[in-house]
Amino acid sequence: MNVDIITVILGFAQSLILIALSPLITGIMRKVKARTQKRIGASVFQPYYDIVKLMRKDDVVSDQASWLFRFAPWVNFAAIATSALLIPVFIIYSPFELVGDLLLIIGLFGLARFFTILGGLDTASAFGGLGSSREMMLSALIEPALFLTIFTLSLNFGATNITTLINSASNLHVLITPSVLFALISMFVIVIAEAGRLPFDNPATHLELTMVHEAMILEYSGKRLALIEWSQSIKNLILLTLMINIFAPWGIAKSVSIETVGIGFAVFLVKASVTAMLIAFIETRVAKWRLFRIPDLITIAIASSMIGIVFFYI
Amino acid sequence: MIASILAIILSISVISNGEPLRASLLGNIPTLFDLPIYVDGVSAFFIFILGLISFAVSLYSIGYSKHYAVKNGTSVLGFLFNFFILSILLVVTSNSVFSFLLFWETMALTSFLLVIYEHEHESNLKSGMTYIVMTHFGTAFILASFLILYIQTGSFSFDVFRQAASSTPMLIKDIVFILAFIGFGTKAGIVPFHIWLPQAHPSAPSNASALMSAVMIKTAIYGLVRFIFDYGGLGPSMDFAWWGLLLLSVGAVSSVVGVLYAVVEKDIKRALAFSSIENIGIILIGLGLSVIFAAFNLPSLSILALVASMYHTLNHAVFKSLLFMCAGSIDYTIHTKNMESMGGLIRKMPWTALLFLIGALSISGLPPLNGFISEWLTMQALLSTPYIMNTNLQILIAFTSLAFALTAGVGAATFVKIFGVSFLSKSRSELALNAVEVPRTMLAGKGVIAFTAVILGILPFIGINLITSAFNLKSFSPNNYFGYISLSNTSGGNFASLNPLIVLLLLVSVAACFYVFVRIVGKATSERAFTTWDCGFGGLNARMEYSATSLSQPLRKVFKFFYKPRNKITREVYAESNPYLRRKVKIDSTTRNLFEELLYEPVISACIFLFDKIRMIQTGKVNAYLLYIMITLVLLLIFVRLTP
Repeated sequence: MNVDIITVILGFAQSLILIALSPLITGIMRKVKARTQKRIGASVFQPYYDIVKLMRKDDVVSDQASWLFRFAPWVNFAAIATSALLIPVFIIYSPFELVGDLLLIIGLFGLARFFTILGGLDTASAFGGLGSSREMMLSALIEPALFLTIFTLSLNFGATNITTLINSASNLHVLITPSVLFALISMFVIVIAEAGRLPFDNPATHLELTMVHEAMILEYSGKRLALIEWSQSIKNLILLTLMINIFAPWGIAKSVSIETVGIGFAVFLVKASVTAMLIAFIETRVAKWRLFRIPDLITIAIASSMIGIVFFYI
Repeated sequence: MIASILAIILSISVISNGEPLRASLLGNIPTLFDLPIYVDGVSAFFIFILGLISFAVSLYSIGYSKHYAVKNGTSVLGFLFNFFILSILLVVTSNSVFSFLLFWETMALTSFLLVIYEHEHESNLKSGMTYIVMTHFGTAFILASFLILYIQTGSFSFDVFRQAASSTPMLIKDIVFILAFIGFGTKAGIVPFHIWLPQAHPSAPSNASALMSAVMIKTAIYGLVRFIFDYGGLGPSMDFAWWGLLLLSVGAVSSVVGVLYAVVEKDIKRALAFSSIENIGIILIGLGLSVIFAAFNLPSLSILALVASMYHTLNHAVFKSLLFMCAGSIDYTIHTKNMESMGGLIRKMPWTALLFLIGALSISGLPPLNGFISEWLTMQALLSTPYIMNTNLQILIAFTSLAFALTAGVGAATFVKIFGVSFLSKSRSELALNAVEVPRTMLAGKGVIAFTAVILGILPFIGINLITSAFNLKSFSPNNYFGYISLSNTSGGNFASLNPLIVLLLLVSVAACFYVFVRIVGKATSERAFTTWDCGFGGLNARMEYSATSLSQPLRKVFKFFYKPRNKITREVYAESNPYLRRKVKIDSTTRNLFEELLYEPVISACIFLFDKIRMIQTGKVNAYLLYIMITLVLLLIFVRLTP
């Protein structure tokens, strides 16, 4: 793709659109979930109202908290928004495509998580500690699963650079090979796990019924809580985007013209909403698992990427 | 007296400060003393590490040694410490078997004396004994490998070893490699020879353990590199593939075992020692990959893996010395190494907390710090396996990647835990409440290292260029310091690239932009301090918060098959008739060290059994001994007669 100024602007804009759209996808998921449970549910724009309202609220900070507690949501948000800048959304181009690859995205997610966990520990609350301890365990297992999925993908598509990877995926005629299929299974489990959704965790509850993420951020309020909620939505959408662009790259714009970009954007919106609806629908069909059964599910993700690797070689 | 010691330490730090200059010459400087010195790029690279770390640690020691001054003066500590640095320096510059072994032993003995420096505690004596036994076990193997090389070449000089490398038969090389691997591996702390490491490092004073962990165990890596590349004459032949395989699999096992013990440990220095085992494992994974790629005649990938491995060597020296110095600072002010009695230190010692956080982020391999660069390079080397045309090997490397990824994940959890428990939340004991920030010299020593960690993280080509020129990798031309690390695939496309400087800039600018955005949307709001939410019951105290043990409990449960925890629950009840009304419930949970139980204890008991039997001939009677001499003499005469 020849790069001119419009491509650069569009490439940058698509990341901002991703950041801006992410609460909407969260809203759609909640709505679908409510409808399948025969509830009317809040508007799909409710997450936006929540974030803006939280930004206007005063903060209450624990008297035990140190500078780290105040600093953590910012690091968390910056790390996740930076990874949003690195990925192609509806055009196969990113102005920062040489800055980093999928491994950098794992690293940035790790950075975000590191600070969130410390934020949960900082206030000396037993509940925050509980959330941190569990998040620590889950992240220690999700990270290898994600790395192995990337391993399988890089074998199949010959890159860990995201743009090259999506480009070679979109040029393949036969995308469905056993190896890619197993990578997809693994990626899907990881998307659900990272989003903290059922059966891993229940994002709709607070306190007693929530095991991991919401427990960690219990002490946050006001602007900082808004940032955490927003970054969580962005993270979900990043993983969704990666999944649909790698495993279903049809329709993504390969060149810059009004039609291709328009189609690319429309197709992206449809694909993202459909996948989000699928996840929400699955969520109404399963119950939350016991914490110590969750490693089994992550093991399935790890095992299926290993099988994917073996399938590639033989 | 203290002043004189400080002068010695300072002068040493000035000398060590000068060393990096010599390292940059990078030529062959063969000078002949009685003990020949030979400094080529490889030695210079390790001298650079030594110089950098010992400079910072010496600076730190000026303040830290006051910790011991009250008790028995610092002269002994200063003497041992400086002698230790000197012996490491001479080990990596030696050019003959005699001088190498001489300084290798000096290094072992001075570090042994440092380990038992606090000899009032019996546990320190025990760990010192374990250390000295294990280190001599290793030396025996190194000696054996040198002797075989001597028999082969007829010389004790390393130059001759180097020249003879191509003509030595493969079988001899294999045997020499195995012996050297066990020998140096013991010093490096590979599983299963790692048991001395978690005992010796916590016992030594922190400045010594920083040097031991950051530099001393790297001399073993130096020895391995010498044996593989110089005396082994590594070339593009399948015969060498299994060397790489051995390094790779031992590295993978060491890293997983090390990190799994590190995450459940509650003694801060022991946790750091276990993490050293983990990092040595990662270094060996890189080294092993490099050997495998070289065996399959893939020179550029071999260089990638070697650079990854050596970058991690440098990085580990940097962040591990930083973390040990911070752990030492905690010990200095609150006199405990147990994380369960720390907590809340971020308010008492803000600078140490910040520096420890930098170390923790970088050892966890998080961008934009230096640990991420070497882990990224190692991962890329692992991802290059499709070029090896051997399916079994490819699948095995895939399993190594699993081990590596697991290590990275659990490693991050380990340092979240260590930082979270020791620095955050409420103080768990009176000791932690009275903590104060450490003296400036100690902070300065740590600051130098933390700064290096940041620089090596955002400008990786400083490190990469250093390594490529030190190892004389000509195909890898030095790069612009601000350039992209870029790897391309077979079709010429971009396989992966990274520019940590831009990552950092992006992080900062994103944070700044959204700060403005949030201020505009959210307008100005105020902040109010209030007690932590306690569900309305009131009175959260330090006993209710998560402790080091409880924080890692889920992981302990997930890896139950590995830890085989023993839980002992004792209940005290008010009345036997009603077991539900309990006065006190006590849970005693210990994880077992499988290696000590299954490997070392049988060996030790077998030895004791054997020695008991041997003692039977030691009757203590003179006539019995005369009889032994007689029998020996007769046997010798028969032996002489029989041999032609």
